[in-house]
Amino acid sequence: MNHLPQAWGRPRDDVYGAYDNSHFQTNGPTTHTQSPIVTGTSVVAAKFKDGVVIAADNLASYGSLARFTDVKRLRKFNSLSVVGFGGDVSDMQYLDRLLNSLDIRENYSSTDPENALNAKNLHTYLAKVMYKRRSDFNPLWNHLLIAGLDGEGKPFLASADLLGTTFSSPTLATGFGAHLAQPIMRRVIPDEAAVAGVSKEDAIKLVKESMKVLFYRDARSMDQYSIAVITKEGVELKENEKLENQSWEFAERIRGYGTQVN
Amino acid sequence: MFIARSEYDRGINTFSPEGRLFQVEYSLEAIKLGSTAIGVATGEGVILGVEKRVTSTLLETSSVEKIVEIDSHIGCAMSGLQADARSMVEHARVESQNHAFNYAEPLRVESCTQAICDLALRFGEGAEGEESIMSRPFGVALLIAGYDEDGPSLYHAEPSGTFYRYDAKAIGSGSEGAQAELQNEFHKSLTLAEAEVLVLKTLKQVMEEKLDSKNVQLASVTKAKGFKIYTDAEMEGVVGRLPTN
Amino acid sequence: MAALFSGAPPQGGPGYSFKQTPTMAPSGERQHGFYPYTDNGGSTLGISGADFTIMAGDTRSTSGYNINTRYAPKLFKIGGEGPDNKGARIVLSVVGFAADGDALKERLDTIVKMYKYQHGKPMSVSACAQRLSHVLYNKRFFPYYVHAILGGIDEDGKGALYSYDPVGSYEREQCRAAGAAASLIMPFLDNQVNFKNQYEPGSGTGHDLQAKVAQPLPRDTVESIVRDAFTSAVERHIEVGDGLQMMIITPNGVEETFTPLKRD
Repeated sequence: MNHLPQAWGRPRDDVYGAYDNSHFQTNGPTTHTQSPIVTGTSVVAAKFKDGVVIAADNLASYGSLARFTDVKRLRKFNSLSVVGFGGDVSDMQYLDRLLNSLDIRENYSSTDPENALNAKNLHTYLAKVMYKRRSDFNPLWNHLLIAGLDGEGKPFLASADLLGTTFSSPTLATGFGAHLAQPIMRRVIPDEAAVAGVSKEDAIKLVKESMKVLFYRDARSMDQYSIAVITKEGVELKENEKLENQSWEFAERIRGYGTQVN
Repeated sequence: MFIARSEYDRGINTFSPEGRLFQVEYSLEAIKLGSTAIGVATGEGVILGVEKRVTSTLLETSSVEKIVEIDSHIGCAMSGLQADARSMVEHARVESQNHAFNYAEPLRVESCTQAICDLALRFGEGAEGEESIMSRPFGVALLIAGYDEDGPSLYHAEPSGTFYRYDAKAIGSGSEGAQAELQNEFHKSLTLAEAEVLVLKTLKQVMEEKLDSKNVQLASVTKAKGFKIYTDAEMEGVVGRLPTN
Repeated sequence: MAALFSGAPPQGGPGYSFKQTPTMAPSGERQHGFYPYTDNGGSTLGISGADFTIMAGDTRSTSGYNINTRYAPKLFKIGGEGPDNKGARIVLSVVGFAADGDALKERLDTIVKMYKYQHGKPMSVSACAQRLSHVLYNKRFFPYYVHAILGGIDEDGKGALYSYDPVGSYEREQCRAAGAAASLIMPFLDNQVNFKNQYEPGSGTGHDLQAKVAQPLPRDTVESIVRDAFTSAVERHIEVGDGLQMMIITPNGVEETFTPLKRD
């Protein structure tokens, strides 16, 4: 994925030149998404000993325009799993509908929570959807993080992107977060073995810290965000959190930011 | 009785209240009208034999093909509607070639038999997603002989889609008498040459015509030579070895 | 493939600076804005011995300069029973585009499992090798962007190793390195496994020199060659590192080991 927000597609005339109306034509070849339009930026997540914390801000950008400021990019699937969406918002909404219909179908076949789709199942499903769509040259322009518990009740965190690529790690971040948040989180949770030593509070603090760094440095981010904690007790989702105690004091000491001349 | 039956004869894949599929049962009857075919499996290989039913002195006997090759290591003998066997054999040949192409190894005899039997119930209306290819069941039974990594083997495949492996098996009009004869004569230490004689001897007993080298056909499947149909000279040789009585 | 993830804006799109803004409307149909492949880095190798085959791969997964994860296996057991492939005797390694690699692995695994149901015997490595070639070739117009290596024990009990290109060309070999550091590891393997450029001491000079004849190596020697190959590749290639996964296939089964590599 290209992590530069400009590259995520913004048909603003001053940036892109005159608007290309060609897609209004009703005849002509079928067209597929060639670039994302309204986008969400990073999603960050970290495992801890009893579950997973996942967060994403509430901004949907239209290029460099902060277009929608209350878009919830974390979606609770059931009491075992949450999906975080980065990338195109319309494709996110499509996936949201897809997951709704999947949930309804699942509830018809069984309402037993023991047999409910867990985060691992959900990740496999979404990865196949993403890979199928990329193979049809009609990608869903998203980078997803799937957080929750697996079939054995252990913390589960994995990613699936628009190419169908999948991987799993104790900490994950999409978009700008891959550059800025991952190194911070990896210092605390370097490997799978370290997860057992991380408490819920530690993990929440770590993820919030990552969100703050992203707000400092990612121009397509905002300070309103959603955060979810998934444990055996269920999903604790807060959708209107606000980053606090920001301070640019540190800039004083960095050459080029402060008042110093050289 | 005919009237009661005919209700369940319409839908070709419809069970009767007694749980029978009449058309399949009738197809088994068709085989009993066919010429006799016999297979005998030995440790060295398998022998297939058929009677040709030469109905006219003007008939060119070499044109009666009741034993055919499926692959270099598998062959089959048939009894019943020969034309039906063509599509089964064609299917088996394709299946065998596909297997060799995909896996660089010969198809097993059992897998080949299974592939043929998979066709057997593709008649009638056709289930969802699967297109039916025939309006009625096959009217032919096959004896499939082959040699694979487990050695020689002989299978009997019916129009009902069931198949079994046999040491020795007879099908067709003379099958009852022939099978009884095989039951008596077969033993595990039979040689290939003894099996050739056993097959012809058994055919001779159930044939209406007098057996000669023109109105029967033999074939063998062995490790060394694979599937081979006997030439006229070879046939004369085996017929010459038959006990004269 | 790596050029895709240089971090630069897409060609023909906006630059880093607004000054580079295109002022004309794009003319004609825009096509191929989406490229369906990426390179997830990493390296694999396989070496066959007299009665064993060793497959190995690092566990790093990358996107450009980013490390996706430090543990993404590139070695997969094929066949056997159930989702854990119990009793499998064939190992597939895939390196390149990981999503295609996973898809390929799953297809081959179901093929091998179906084969056992259909034919009542486990699939041989040679049969599996031929089938894998066809699976790749059948998708040659939209290939699985992977370099696959298949390892196992052949019908004579000898170590068997087959290597593939993305569209199904294949060959049985003694050893093969694939992936990001293939160009670093393969010459080392040529020298250490097939004794290329090694000569019998004192056999003469110039054309009289007798080439040292390659023979199957013992298992512990092969294992140390594999470790040396990877520790060296880690030093020189940024996409290789984090962990070394090895699978040793013998007639008794598949032994799996994991050893850490440098994470820098």
